[in-house]
Amino acid sequence: MKSNKNINQKNSIFKNWLVILVAILFIALPFIINAYWIDVLFFFGIYALLGLSLNIVLGEVGLFDLGHMGFMAIGAYTTAILNTSFGIPIIILLPISAIAAGAFAWLVCSPIIHLKGDYLCIVTIGMGEIVRLTLNNNPFGITGGSNGVFGIDFPSLGSIFVVDNSTKFYYYIWLIVGLTIVGLVNLQRSRIGRAWNCIREDEVAAESTGIDVRSYKLLAFLLGAGLAGVAGNIYATKLMIVSPESFSFMESCMLFCIVLIGGMGSIPGVLIGAAAISLFPEVFRTFAQYRMLIFGVAMVIMMIFRPGGIWPRKRGALKFESLLIKAGEENG
Amino acid sequence: MKSKKFMLIVSVLVLVLGIASFGVMAADKLPVVIGLQGPITGPYAVEGEMAKQSVEIAAQMINDKGGILGGRMIEIRVADDACQPKAGALAAMKLITQKDVVAAIQTYGSFVVLPASDVYEKFKKVNIAYGATITDLTERGLKYFFRTCGRTDTQAKFFADKVVPYFNAKKIAIMNNNTSFSVGLAEETRAALKSRIDAGEVEIVYFDAINPEETDFTVPLTKLRETNPDVFYYTGHFPEAGLIIRQAREIGIEAIFVGGDAVVNEDFINIAGIEYAKGVYQTQEALIEYFTNPEAMAFKEAYKAKYNTLPSSPWSVYAADALCVLAEAIDKSGSTDSDVIADYLRNKMENFPSITGPVGFDEIGDRVGSSINLYVVNADGSSSICDTK
Repeated sequence: MKSNKNINQKNSIFKNWLVILVAILFIALPFIINAYWIDVLFFFGIYALLGLSLNIVLGEVGLFDLGHMGFMAIGAYTTAILNTSFGIPIIILLPISAIAAGAFAWLVCSPIIHLKGDYLCIVTIGMGEIVRLTLNNNPFGITGGSNGVFGIDFPSLGSIFVVDNSTKFYYYIWLIVGLTIVGLVNLQRSRIGRAWNCIREDEVAAESTGIDVRSYKLLAFLLGAGLAGVAGNIYATKLMIVSPESFSFMESCMLFCIVLIGGMGSIPGVLIGAAAISLFPEVFRTFAQYRMLIFGVAMVIMMIFRPGGIWPRKRGALKFESLLIKAGEENG
Repeated sequence: MKSKKFMLIVSVLVLVLGIASFGVMAADKLPVVIGLQGPITGPYAVEGEMAKQSVEIAAQMINDKGGILGGRMIEIRVADDACQPKAGALAAMKLITQKDVVAAIQTYGSFVVLPASDVYEKFKKVNIAYGATITDLTERGLKYFFRTCGRTDTQAKFFADKVVPYFNAKKIAIMNNNTSFSVGLAEETRAALKSRIDAGEVEIVYFDAINPEETDFTVPLTKLRETNPDVFYYTGHFPEAGLIIRQAREIGIEAIFVGGDAVVNEDFINIAGIEYAKGVYQTQEALIEYFTNPEAMAFKEAYKAKYNTLPSSPWSVYAADALCVLAEAIDKSGSTDSDVIADYLRNKMENFPSITGPVGFDEIGDRVGSSINLYVVNADGSSSICDTK
C-alpha cells in the first residue's frame, strides 16, 4: 500500500516537470524557428483557444455544438466594427468581445437549450450559418458584406507596448491560452465542473440529485462563447481584416475534430488536437492536393485504434483502497 | 505511460519543425527567386494550377533568353493559400521568411489578397496581384502593392457604356453571388448605369444576391422571370453560373445572358452543356487566344508546346505578365532591393511590352489602361469578340 502512494507521488512530480518543460519549450521556440513557423504556431494558439472554448460545451457537458465559429465571428466583428468606426483600443475590446459573444450565446441558446443530441447539433449548425450569411449580407452597411471590415489596429497598452510582430503575437496568444488553461483546470475540479460532467454522463440522474441542468448548460454555452469571442478578437487584430469566409461551416467542423481527436473534456487532449488540425496541413502543404487525403486517412485510422481520442480524460476517482489509506493517515 | 506518449509526440513535433526550417535554409543562392502565391488546393485549384503553369512558362522564356541581371536564372517558388484569408496570410509569411525570395506574385480572390498584401507591406516585399479586382485594394495607400489585372469599375463602366447600348437594352437584371468580387462588380455596375437610369433610358428591374453553395436556384430565378428583363447580367463565378444559365432557360427566361469576367471558361461550358452555353455573352478581361502581339505569340507557342492547350482564364496570363514585369524591373534597375523595384515599377516603367500588351502602373499601383471586350460563346464552344465599338 505504501508503494502505491509512492507511485502516485512520483507520477505527479513527473507531470509537473512535464508541464514546466513544455512551458520552457514554448517560451524558447521563437528564438529557434523562423517567422513563418512562429505564425503557424500563432494559429495553433488560436485553434487551441477555440478548442478549449468548444471543449467546455462539447467535452465537459456533452452538448453537440457545430456552429461554434458563429460565436467567434461575433467576437471578431465586434472588435473590428467598434475599432474601425469608433477607435476603441483593442485591449478594451477584448473583454467586450467576450461579453458580446457570451450575450449572443445566451440570447440564442436560451430557447433551444432543452434540445438533446442531434437536434441541438442541427440547430447550432443553422445558427452558425445564419451568423455567417447575415455578416455576408451587410446589415445596415456595418459589416462590409463579403469584403469584410479591414484596417483593424494592433493590441497595445498605451504607446509603449504594442503587439505588432509575429513573435509578440505568439507570446500574446500563448499567454492567454496559458491563463485560460489555469482557469479551466480549476473549473474542472470545482463544483461546476463536476456538475457538468454529471450532466454529460446522465442528465436525469443529475437532475434528480438537485443540479439545475438548464442553468448549468447555459453557463457552459456562455463561457464557451465568451472564450471564442476572445479568440475572435485576437484573430481579427492579427489578420487586420475580418471577412465571412473565415467563419465557414468547415471551420466549425475542424473545431469539432479538435475536441474529438484529443479526447472529450481533456485539456492536454485539446492541445494535441489543435496541433494536429493546425500544424498538419502546414507540414504537409507540399503534397498539395493529397494533403487532405492523408489527413482524412489519419483521422479514420485514429478513430479505429483510439476511439476515445489521443489523450482521453479520466476523472481522478478514488478507489476504495486509497480511501482506506486516507482514513488510516487521518487516524494516525 | 501517458506522459511518455506525450513526450514522444512533443519530440516528433519538434523534429518536424526543425527539419522544415532547415530545409528552407538550404536553398541555392544563385538564381533570382520569385514567389508565387496561389490557390493550389481548394475550390479554385484550377486557377492556381493554371497560374503556376503560366508563370513557369514565362520564367522559362526569360531564362532561355539568358536570364536577368547578367545571366542569373529566374526560379519560381510556389506557396499554397487554398483561397482562404488565413492561409493567405500564412502563405505570404512563408514566402517572406525565405530570405532569397525577392518579390511575390499573389493570388486569386480579393478577400485573400487583402490580408496577404498587408503582410507583404509590413515586411517590405514587392507583391503584384493577378486576380484581384475590387476597387478598394489599391486605395489603401500601400507602397509595395501592384496589380496587372484591371479593376471592377473598369469592367462596370464597359458594361454600362458599351454592352447596354449594343443590345439596346431597357430592362436590366443584375445578380451576384455575395463574394467580395461579385458584389463589387454588381454595385459598380449599378453606379455606372446611374446617369442612364436618371435619364430614363434604362431601368434595373432586379438586383439581388444568391448563395453560391446552393445548387437549386429556381426560387430567385422565378422572381427574376417575373421582372421580364432584356439583359441578365450575372457577376459571380463559373461553378454556379453553369447551373444558373441551365435552370434559367429551363424555366423560360429568354433574356440575353451576360456573365462577368469569372463566368465563362471550359468548366462553365461543361456544367451548363453546350446547348445552354451557346450564345452566352461575357464582359471579359484579356483572353490570350485573341492576342497577336509578338510577346503573346511567343507565350502561346511555348505554352502549347508544353501543355498542348492554352490557359482558359485571363488571370493566369496576368500572373505571367506580373513575372515579366518583375523580371524587367529587377533587370533594368539592377537591384533586388524592394524599394528600388517598387520605385522602378511606379515611376520608370512605361508601356513595357508584356504578354497582354503594354504595361505601366499609376501612383496607387493600378495598371494603366485595360483591355476588356464583350465575348460570345459559339456553337462549338469557342469564343469570339463582339464588335461593341
